[in-house]
Amino acid sequence: MSRLKPQKLNQRNKAHNPKRILLPFVYLAIAWFIIAFLIVPNINILMSTFLKDGSFSFDSIEKILSSERAMDSLKNSFILAFSLAITSNIVGIFLVLCTDYFDIKGAKILRIGYSTTLVFGGIILANGYLFIYGKNGFITNVLTSIFPNFNEEWFIGYPAVLFMMTFACTSLHMIFLRGALSNVDYQTVEAAKNMGASPFYIIRKIVLPSLLPVLFTLTILLFQTGLGAMSGPLIVGGENFQTISPMILTFSQRPASRDLAALLSIILGIVQLILLFMVMKAEKKTNYISGSKVKMKLKKQKINHPVGNAMMHIVAWGLFVIYTVPVIIVLIFSFTDSYSISTGTLSLSSFTLENYLSILTDSASYRPFLTSVIYAGLASIIVVIAMLFIARMIQKYRNRLTTIMELLLYIPWLLPGLLFALGLIITYDQPTWLMFNNVLTGTTVIMLIAYIIVNIPFTLRVIKSAYYSFDESLEEAARNLGANGFYTFIRVILPIVLPAALAVFALNFNGHLSDYDLSVFLYHPLFQPLGVVIYSATDANATADAKAISMVYSVILMAINAIVLYFVYGRGNKINTAL
Amino acid sequence: MIVKKILFTMLAVLMLGIITACSSAGSESKNNAEESQESNGGEQIASSDEALIVYTNSASNGRGDWLKEKAGEVGFNLEIVEMGGSDLFNRLLAEKNNPIADVTFGMSQMDWQTLKQEEALVAYEPSWIDEIPDGSSDSDNFYHPIAEQRIIMLYNQDTYDETTAPQDWPDLWENEEFHGLYHVPSTLSGGTDRAVIYNILTRHLDENGELGVSDEGWAAVQAYIENGYTTPDGEDRIANLADGTIPISFYYSSGIPGIEEEFSFEAGIVSPEIGVPATVEQVGIMNHGDGQDYTLAHEFIDWFGSAEIQGEWANNFGSLPVNKLAVDQATDRMKEIGQSTSVQEIDYDLVGKYIDEWVEKIELEIY
Repeated sequence: MSRLKPQKLNQRNKAHNPKRILLPFVYLAIAWFIIAFLIVPNINILMSTFLKDGSFSFDSIEKILSSERAMDSLKNSFILAFSLAITSNIVGIFLVLCTDYFDIKGAKILRIGYSTTLVFGGIILANGYLFIYGKNGFITNVLTSIFPNFNEEWFIGYPAVLFMMTFACTSLHMIFLRGALSNVDYQTVEAAKNMGASPFYIIRKIVLPSLLPVLFTLTILLFQTGLGAMSGPLIVGGENFQTISPMILTFSQRPASRDLAALLSIILGIVQLILLFMVMKAEKKTNYISGSKVKMKLKKQKINHPVGNAMMHIVAWGLFVIYTVPVIIVLIFSFTDSYSISTGTLSLSSFTLENYLSILTDSASYRPFLTSVIYAGLASIIVVIAMLFIARMIQKYRNRLTTIMELLLYIPWLLPGLLFALGLIITYDQPTWLMFNNVLTGTTVIMLIAYIIVNIPFTLRVIKSAYYSFDESLEEAARNLGANGFYTFIRVILPIVLPAALAVFALNFNGHLSDYDLSVFLYHPLFQPLGVVIYSATDANATADAKAISMVYSVILMAINAIVLYFVYGRGNKINTAL
Repeated sequence: MIVKKILFTMLAVLMLGIITACSSAGSESKNNAEESQESNGGEQIASSDEALIVYTNSASNGRGDWLKEKAGEVGFNLEIVEMGGSDLFNRLLAEKNNPIADVTFGMSQMDWQTLKQEEALVAYEPSWIDEIPDGSSDSDNFYHPIAEQRIIMLYNQDTYDETTAPQDWPDLWENEEFHGLYHVPSTLSGGTDRAVIYNILTRHLDENGELGVSDEGWAAVQAYIENGYTTPDGEDRIANLADGTIPISFYYSSGIPGIEEEFSFEAGIVSPEIGVPATVEQVGIMNHGDGQDYTLAHEFIDWFGSAEIQGEWANNFGSLPVNKLAVDQATDRMKEIGQSTSVQEIDYDLVGKYIDEWVEKIELEIY
């Protein structure tokens, strides 16, 4: 109840405010955007997939149900989603405790190591793991030399996928959980310690509960990542642990099988929406109160028990090795010829700079980089600014309209990028009144729009959580001191949510930089984005040193990603990114 | 502090954008100037220097750059857009109401058949129509053949010789000594991979069977997939072939010289008596409606399909040109492949009708 009062007050204050008159127009604009870009294209593509010869056909349901492979893959995807949400959270929490809570020697270096997954993901990472644990991998070779009977195909199947993805998916913990941890009130921790509470009791009863809101969001994202897992199962899943996403991709690439792709992704999407809805409900009930109003910065905790201390150090540095070795291996192999890369062998003679030279001296190769940087940058900035605004609306005006709006904005989580891209193309390939008689297909705008749309759910999710995590008393205080709404927003609220906004900007940007799935259908022929160029350089049917070239592109991408993160986090800025 | 930082970041991105826009525009105009200077020497064929947008799945390994340069010499301002075969086909279908491409070349005859049915093409009779074998073009002139891709089974010559290697596809699953030693693709989205499938299935056509194929046919495909080695993503099947790990594989003909050079080996070629599947890359003009001036596209196709260009293309990149006057210029290795294998007789109308359903059934039930 106490929360409602200031809101009503605000509304009364705003009655004479010109912004009140603008509000319906804002709603109208958002409604247009949602209808024109989220609903109509998706309905169009679904109609064209399920509508065969003028009548709806639901053969696809029967086909899926009777396909052993599809059912197995679905099952595996769910198994992976559930287990990943658990394991990755455990590892992620442990990492953050190591770098920011306990006093571990070399925490700064550990942090860099643990953060490598931020710039090193997807297929590059999977290949890195293969170089170490795969059939000809480094560790495998060591193990076979010690145990001659060792099965060199040991790193395959569900355990291998889970192992790889568990470590790969902790990148968000390193950003958001660390931020949240720094908001834990030190005085409460100290008080508990003085009363004789054990370190684990403190973690369980004080630290973890205050991290709960962030863990909610991370769990949704982990679940989603597990459900949509692609390169991990493809590369190390083996025949017995294939998941549904690769199947969806193959089906969606073939017009005749698109109904299957749509059906499978709708199944996944509904599960995600159910989870999301549950979390939204839970959030409404939860009050995020974080200890005292006068926070004290957390001081690192020494582990007094010598054995426990040694154990923590061993595990922390063991994890460091797991995280960094694949990156180092990829770096090394990017300097070798394609024979070494495909066979996983290293010799002095196989080192070469040719891969780098052939890319960097090609005058045509810098343009895709710039094209992608501009598209990714613009899309990420626009989506972050828009969601800063919309999430604020959702928080301030909690009513049925904004709830529906929020749910609708999660639509891009429902359908795979490829189907959505096709939907955009077929909807706006001729002038429609919805687009004010403009054609979008074949213009430079359509890819930008798509880039923006696919980031909406994640951005909205993160920024909304950020709004909810700040002390509303701050806003009240500003109001009571006479600050107007806009001033309060710029000077009080924005600085608090900005770290999360910046983080999500960096993540979106890095995600788009090498995007292929969406771009391949939408890019303007004169502006080829990086992902498309990399793909045509590394296509299975391209022969010349394709693997070597893809390695070099990966390394260059990692460098760009690292630079972006450095701009956001680096140079000693202490940004606390709490959700 | 933080506000300043975000302003700075935005400013940086904005600046970058401006710099890029300027620098790319600048370099482009410079390039154009250079090109026009160079092209002053050559004979001008193109009636206009307007950009001609060409889509293709057949521009990798420097072929696209070569074509662009070569076309520039006679005055064409080509903008070549390259993507994989199935992506290209999807994009053309999606864009059919508002096509971006002027001309497309590549893909397989079955894809072109669909594009024709979807009214995505306009008809044109090129000047070199008499130089290609009779009846090889589309009967309504909507598309014309350029180069042939034979799909060829390869083996590692250290592991097998001509007598011990498989002689035909069924040997792979019927003969136990090849089990686990031949590559099976993990998906069937590529044209080459599909060719292997219809090569097997069309041997067992049966009007009364499921999707036009008899039970033996389905059993054969199942045996083919189950007894082979499904190469996972992240593993290089050509490396496996070259070092003998998985000594039997297959490839499309014009790619063979490239992989042989890359992995410094020479692959053994299997030449089944029944012949090998061959897909034919075509060229055609996208339908921009009646109001469109297609002159430039016509000029390009006349030039591109000519014996001279197709011959040079074949000589440089190892293709098997359809143009009879260009065949001689194919590389020795290509001629060898061309002569040692024959083309399997396959009813492509029927394959085109069923292939999607076949692949879907295999993906759902057999893999």
